[in-house]
Order: sequence, then structure tokens, then C-alpha cells
Amino acid sequence: MVRTFRDIPGVEWVEGTGNFITIDEEKCTGCGNCLKVCLAECYEIVNKKARIRSMEKCMECGACWYSCEDGAIDFSWPAGGTGFRTNWG
Amino acid sequence: MVEQYDVIVVGAGFGGPVAAKQCADSGLHTIMLERSKIPGEKVVSGLVIPVYGFLFGPEFIREGNPPIERPIRSVMNRFVKNGEIYASDHSLRLPAPFTVGYSTYCKPFCIWLADRAVDSGVELRTATTAVDVIIENGFVRGVITDKGEELRSKIVIDAGGTQNNLSLKAGIRKKFVPEAIELYMIWDFEMAKEDVDSVFGNSMEFFHAMPDEKIGAPLGYGSTLYFFTYRDSIHPGLGQFLVTEGKIPNVAKLLREYFDNFTTKVRRWREDIAPKVKLRAVTWDVCPIYAGLIPEMRKMPYFGNGMLIIGDAAGFESAAFGDGVPSAWFSAEIAAGVALESIKAGDTSKAFLKRYGDRVKADPFIMHTITDTRRWDMREVLKSKSENEHKKRIRDHWGIGAFRYKYMGGPCLKATGRSIKNDPGIIAKWPEMFRRYYRNWEENRFDRLSTD
Repeated sequence: MVRTFRDIPGVEWVEGTGNFITIDEEKCTGCGNCLKVCLAECYEIVNKKARIRSMEKCMECGACWYSCEDGAIDFSWPAGGTGFRTNWG
Repeated sequence: MVEQYDVIVVGAGFGGPVAAKQCADSGLHTIMLERSKIPGEKVVSGLVIPVYGFLFGPEFIREGNPPIERPIRSVMNRFVKNGEIYASDHSLRLPAPFTVGYSTYCKPFCIWLADRAVDSGVELRTATTAVDVIIENGFVRGVITDKGEELRSKIVIDAGGTQNNLSLKAGIRKKFVPEAIELYMIWDFEMAKEDVDSVFGNSMEFFHAMPDEKIGAPLGYGSTLYFFTYRDSIHPGLGQFLVTEGKIPNVAKLLREYFDNFTTKVRRWREDIAPKVKLRAVTWDVCPIYAGLIPEMRKMPYFGNGMLIIGDAAGFESAAFGDGVPSAWFSAEIAAGVALESIKAGDTSKAFLKRYGDRVKADPFIMHTITDTRRWDMREVLKSKSENEHKKRIRDHWGIGAFRYKYMGGPCLKATGRSIKNDPGIIAKWPEMFRRYYRNWEENRFDRLSTD
């Protein structure tokens, strides 16, 4: 299955990525850096903790992982052949 | 099932195929893993590959017919105030067929590179993510894929790009600090070739402004709004470092605001460009552009027992130009050479592989470009607020001043001397390359890709 979005033309997302970004709730201080650097609006803050809202527009840039000063976010790669793809990069 | 190779190359972007091809050409049993289904379809940047990559990089690229979008012969710098262009610097321009670089989409170029590696006997496995390294007695001995396969090798070359974490899992590197990382956003627009020809010609174009114009990051904290020009499309983008003046601002919101401001306020866009374009794609990614300017990042090793790290994964990004392709190519060639020597010697220890680090340091471009402070120093203009200083610094950065000996002139001279010493015939091959690339572009005829 492939997803597309009208507000992000020219990009497709192939399903089956697995959870390639995870948040360690113990370590998260709710600083919100992940929200501020995520162009895909993947994150939200609930009860002073970051939570993944939706990964459907994630372009796997890892800005959240780099910005997380608490080391609460872990980033790996989606399963081979899944996740975002574009002809126009 | 366990499979045994001499070399595993992780990543078929710009660096990986160069390393893999050279290993295979040297007779090494080589596999290249790529997490996307087709090489290059996860590589996002929009790209003008600087010409020094072609002149001094891999021979097979120089002598081949890779898919280029447009020969870029000049850099047009526009200075903007209140939406109007009040000055321009077009001092860096060359007559055809000479160029400052070649624009290209990442996907076809990466496919072309991977095709050359496969032609040389590299086994390419796409849609395969290397999720972990195999470590035995302190040595990297292979990788584990997302399908659970164990692939073993004498050397792993990590060409996994910026976010790659294999070298982190091997305990060789740490993740980049956010001060080193730029988040950038790119818009791809279709535009008829004759319109690109008349509006931009064979120039790439920058829009420089003081911070109150809000069409780009504060000076020195990002990429000025740039337009890469392609055959029948244009590729504007801009970026900002995750950390600006000590804090992590709402970069995601700012990037969209800058581009909105540009498209609503700047007359050049509204009158010359907007009526002729149609949005085709929006993408974004991050890049470790200041990795070489932050001592703890620069000093991180790019080799360990059984592993060599090349390109963006090693932080080899030009800090001034924000480009990583030439250094990915240079480091790939050095890594392949060292991999062969170490396998022949039967010694893949860190002590032996130190020669990779030594040769990277001796390369005329890699260390020079990753420690180039010209973009970082634009922060001085934030203090002085002087338009004259701004123009002067841009002239040295994206104008004719870039050829000064202390900037790109020195490395180019050193590399020229070294290339001629290695192969005197290259003097004739350089102009031949310029002519052939230009003719390929005029005739829109390049090597066929395996995916065509």
C-alpha cells in the first residue's frame, strides 16, 4: 500500500516501515524540541511528554533524533523498500 | 544463512557505488546494500555537484555520460531589500562549455552510479536495510539485515549518509550534535525549458538578505534561499541549523514562513518566475554541514577495526557550500584503495586502517572544505549590519573571490598538480569532459539507466 498527500506533492510512502522512531517516556522531559523541528508534524505533547501523533508523513530526516537533548528519541531505518520515496530529490 | 564477502558497502547513494565499483574492479568480492527499492529515491537535496568533484574525482564519472540536468556556468547573487533586488553579484561566471558544476536529480544519478558498480561485478541488494553490525573480538565482521540475514565480510564500508547509525552501533562514532545539522526544505517546480533558459540561463541563483527581510535563516545559521536550475524544472530550497544563537527555534515553522514571505514579497518571484511554474514536489532532509567546524565532531574517527566510514556518514560536508558529493567520491576512492591493501595484508585492524584517516587528511579538498568557515562567518554581518560587508563576504563565498588561494584556489591548484603527476594525459581529458558533458546536455542524450 502506498500513501500520498495533497500538501506534500511528489512523495509517496510505502507502508510496512515498522516502528523506526521510538520515545523513551522515562527520559522525555517534554521540552518540545521534536515538535519544533518536525516538518511532518509527527509529534504532540500529552501530559508533558512527547508522543508520536502520526508517522504517516515522516521523511526519515531524523531532525527529532538530533534535537532531543534528553536522548529519549531513538531513530533507526524503516524496513527495506518501505517508507518515503520520491523521484524529485 | 551466512554469506561471506570481502567487502560490504552499506548505502548506494553518491559515495557507496564509487567505493563498491573500485573494490570489485580490484577483484574483491563485493556486495552493496541499499535500503530503498531503487537507488537514490530516498536521497533528497537537490543538487549542483561542484565541478571539482568531476575534475578530480573518479575517472569513470569523468569519462562517462551521467544524467545531468543542466551545466551550471555561473552563480547569480541577488541582494534583496523590501522585496526588491537592490544589487547583484554575477562575478563568478564561465564561458561554455566550462562550468562551476552540474545540476542533477539524485535518483537518476545514483542509479547511474549503481549501474556502473553492478557492471563491475558488485552484487547490489536493494530494499535491504542493514540494521546492525556483527562484532567479534572487537572487529566489525559484517552486518545483519532487516530480514535477519547475516552477511559477513573482511571490511564494512559505511556509506549510509547523514543519519546512518551503523558506525554508532559499532561504537566508532557518536551522533552529530544539533549545532552541526541543518534542516532544509526543497520545492520542485516544473518550468518549460525555454523559460528556464530565458529567466535563469545556465546560472544558479541565490537571494541574500538581512534577517529582517525574513526570507531565510539569520546569516551564518542556514542556507540562503537558492534556486538550482534544471533542464525543465527549478529546485528552490532553504535551510536553517537546528540550533540558532544557542537555542532550538521552531525551525519547521520558520522554513515555511521564509518561503511564504519570499513568494509573496519578492518581485523577481512574483513577476518573472511564478507565472511560469507549477509545483511538483516538496521534500526535506537534514545535513551535517557544520560537522567539520565543531571540534568534537571533526575529531571523531572515521575508521575502526574492520570498518571505514565515507561521505556524509563521516561528516564530510562542505561547510561553506553545503555540498557533500565531491568529498563522498574522494573518500570512497581512498576507502576502496585502503580496503584492498588491508585485505591483501590480512590486517583489517584500526592500526592498519589508520592509513585511510591519513589519506583523507592529505586529500586537497576533504579537510579543507569541511573546515571552511566562510558560511559560519556570515554571522559577523549580523553584528555589523553592514550591506557592504555582506556583499564583500558573498563575493568571496559565491562570487569570483571563491577562487582565492585560501578558499578554493589552493586546493584546486594542489589537486591539479597531483592529477597531472599521476596521469599527464588528464590535461586533454578535462576539456574533453567539459565538451562532452555540454553536448550530452544540448542533445539530451545520456547513458541509459537500468530502470529505463
